[in-house]
Amino acid sequence: MNEKKKITSIIGGDKIVLIVAIAAVFALFTFMNKNFMTVQNMVNLLVASSLVGMVAIGHTYLIIAKQNDLSPGSLAAFCGVFCAILLNKGFPIIAAMLVTLCAGAVVGLFNSWMVNQIRIEAFIATLVSQTIIRGFAYIICDGKPVAITNQAFNKLGTFRIAGLPVPVWVMIVCILIFGFILARTRFGRSVYAIGGSAEAARLAGLNPKRIVTTCFIMIGMLTAMGGMLFAARMNAGQPAANVNLEFDAITAVILGGTSFAGGVGSMFGTALGIILIQAFNTGLIMVNVDSFWQYVARGALLLFALTSDYIRETRRQKALLEASMKNA
Amino acid sequence: MGTVLEFQHISKYFPGVKALDDVSFQAFGGEVLAFLGENGAGKSTLLKTLNGDYQPTSGTYLLDGEEKHFKSPHQAIEEGVSIIYQERQILLELSVAENIYLGRMPSNGLGVINTAKANQMAQKIIDDFGLPIRPTEKVKNLSIAYQQMVEIMKAYSRENLKVIAFDEPTASLSDAEISSLFEIIRKLRDEGKIVLYVSHRMSELRQITDKVAIFKDGRHVGIFETAKVTDAELIKRMVGRDLGDIYSSLDKEKEIGEVLLDVDNVSSDYVKPVSFQLHKGEVLGFSGLVGAGRTELMRAIIGADKRKSGTVTLNGKKIENRSPKEAMKNGIMLVPEDRKLQGLLGNLDVAGNIDIASLLQNSNALGIIDTKKEKEMAQKGIREFAIKTPSMHKKVLELSGGNQQKCIVARAVATNPKVLILDEPTKGIDVGAKSEFYEMICRFAKQGLGVILISSELPEVIGLSDRIIVMRSLQKSGEMLASEATEDKLLALGMEE
Repeated sequence: MNEKKKITSIIGGDKIVLIVAIAAVFALFTFMNKNFMTVQNMVNLLVASSLVGMVAIGHTYLIIAKQNDLSPGSLAAFCGVFCAILLNKGFPIIAAMLVTLCAGAVVGLFNSWMVNQIRIEAFIATLVSQTIIRGFAYIICDGKPVAITNQAFNKLGTFRIAGLPVPVWVMIVCILIFGFILARTRFGRSVYAIGGSAEAARLAGLNPKRIVTTCFIMIGMLTAMGGMLFAARMNAGQPAANVNLEFDAITAVILGGTSFAGGVGSMFGTALGIILIQAFNTGLIMVNVDSFWQYVARGALLLFALTSDYIRETRRQKALLEASMKNA
Repeated sequence: MGTVLEFQHISKYFPGVKALDDVSFQAFGGEVLAFLGENGAGKSTLLKTLNGDYQPTSGTYLLDGEEKHFKSPHQAIEEGVSIIYQERQILLELSVAENIYLGRMPSNGLGVINTAKANQMAQKIIDDFGLPIRPTEKVKNLSIAYQQMVEIMKAYSRENLKVIAFDEPTASLSDAEISSLFEIIRKLRDEGKIVLYVSHRMSELRQITDKVAIFKDGRHVGIFETAKVTDAELIKRMVGRDLGDIYSSLDKEKEIGEVLLDVDNVSSDYVKPVSFQLHKGEVLGFSGLVGAGRTELMRAIIGADKRKSGTVTLNGKKIENRSPKEAMKNGIMLVPEDRKLQGLLGNLDVAGNIDIASLLQNSNALGIIDTKKEKEMAQKGIREFAIKTPSMHKKVLELSGGNQQKCIVARAVATNPKVLILDEPTKGIDVGAKSEFYEMICRFAKQGLGVILISSELPEVIGLSDRIIVMRSLQKSGEMLASEATEDKLLALGMEE
């Protein structure tokens, strides 16, 4: 086995393509704006990616399990406002955060209830909660942003440890922990199994409904955490914030090689996907692309991600067919 | 000479399965040709290949000497090839005439549909068929039999109709309805169409078909004139006799112990109450037609479907089995019939497939998997069941069908079950691998497991079982010792009249 092959087999061929793509995006934007490739800008990029990153971690689980969630944008905004209100009412930071995390868990539970019990497609079910939660985000604050007076909490958004702000550290730690859970635990393996075939997994003694429920609760709590840290950075809970958050998160996950077909994907891929999409979004701003065109560009990026997902999946099926023909 | 349909060396592969293997034969206009074969023999796959639903992996088919490559069922219909499926393919909210002329309703130059004309045209066909229905009637108000007739009329209304195929058309019809269907089929035949007819019911084949094409394991065995061949001969060709010696050479020496599993009046939404007992070290065969309720009974026992009534007792202890998970914990494992949808985890490798049911056993209290234990379990499974794979990290779908099935059996056995339920374990598997499964089943029984074997292959049930239960119409229709069983007896108990 030569050196090149070794690397490919360790990180996977798809990931090489992704790393090259990231390098290309960085090179392109650096070429167009020399301020792009600075330490400060890189830190900013990571900070900006921290909320998308938290949500993408949850989406990695859901999409591998052949589910989806369109509610995180609303939920992040709701949790920001909700936590702000609790803090302003005099809740200690820890208590406010725990209660908000619970709210995120409840939303996850509600989503999984719709999917498991009423058997609504996840896409549609979470569209329901997207609207409902956005509504509540406005309702609890009368539609006005809630400024956070607790300065210690606001510090959470900007305080730096070893040069990186807290939200970035939270994202990194979550990627590591949830990456480990996905790759090395019973639960992680079950998620892959139900994504491959829920019925086969059930007959093999797994409980698909419970696994799906856990995945939804996880993304709810990850989103809540991200939403609170976002509010800390802004020093306010904003009910209109984080629109299209799930869009970026899903794009990151698919770019990272997780397949909409279910059962395939990794947290490492998602981490790369997060970097790629944030570099892309930040870069577009820095080279002064008109904000309306940024929408078009983001859509194009998701289309690109889906197309490559489709091509990967078709190739996989073809390779399997050929291999099994040889063995038949 | 009339229309000729010719298949030339048609093969069709799916991952792990050779569904069709070099099939060549001809069918002629003016005759009804039956397709006969066990499940998975390739009958339906061939029909789907003919009508463009599947593309053949290799080979070709000719209609009146002209090579055809239908890209879709739609194109096939346009060129005169229609299949009438078990499941109705009609739009319930539309009228009879609208269904018949769907997508090609007569219209004027502006594209406005002329319903009156469509009704008129439809009425003519209805009269031709001698049916008491109105063209304006909504299809949802018709009986199943008439709905099917609408489908046939839809195919018939194409002036270029050359081939019409029926896939188990009588499955949900009454006797009277069947005889009027047969009249229509005879009419089509007499008009020179090629009629293909897939059915399991021997008596029907005698009534309606002129010739029988037999399929086995994806291969075309031969064509026989219905009038000149006995049922026994047909069955013999269909199941193949080359396995005869294998059964007699199996090591069936063992001891059958006390009652292990006692199933008392178990039913679900899909099966009527059934009772039976399974002993330690016994192989209990379940015979009967597809849809007789055998799979459904097992699913009710392990809690894959909700149990409506009855009790399950294992080793004298009543067990609930509210889910397959609970059944597994209690020591009952099912190897499901539909390997692709219910057995395999196609996204995982061989090791992942073997280990998936034993996650609890292979992980610590925190849920962290012990990869060493997993590896050992996978290796043991690969060794014990002689799974042919270059490595345990090969994707399971790359293996042959037989080896895929072994992975699923290895998965079940790794959980140390007391009762093993095998649902059509050798379906779509080649003869060589079949004998390995037979030895495996005898070994399980010898080790003291209770084995339930569902199989539609009569020699297989008789050759492997100690006792056989026959099911028909969602309930038990008979029970006998395997030593007293013959294919005729099982058929008589299993066949619907």
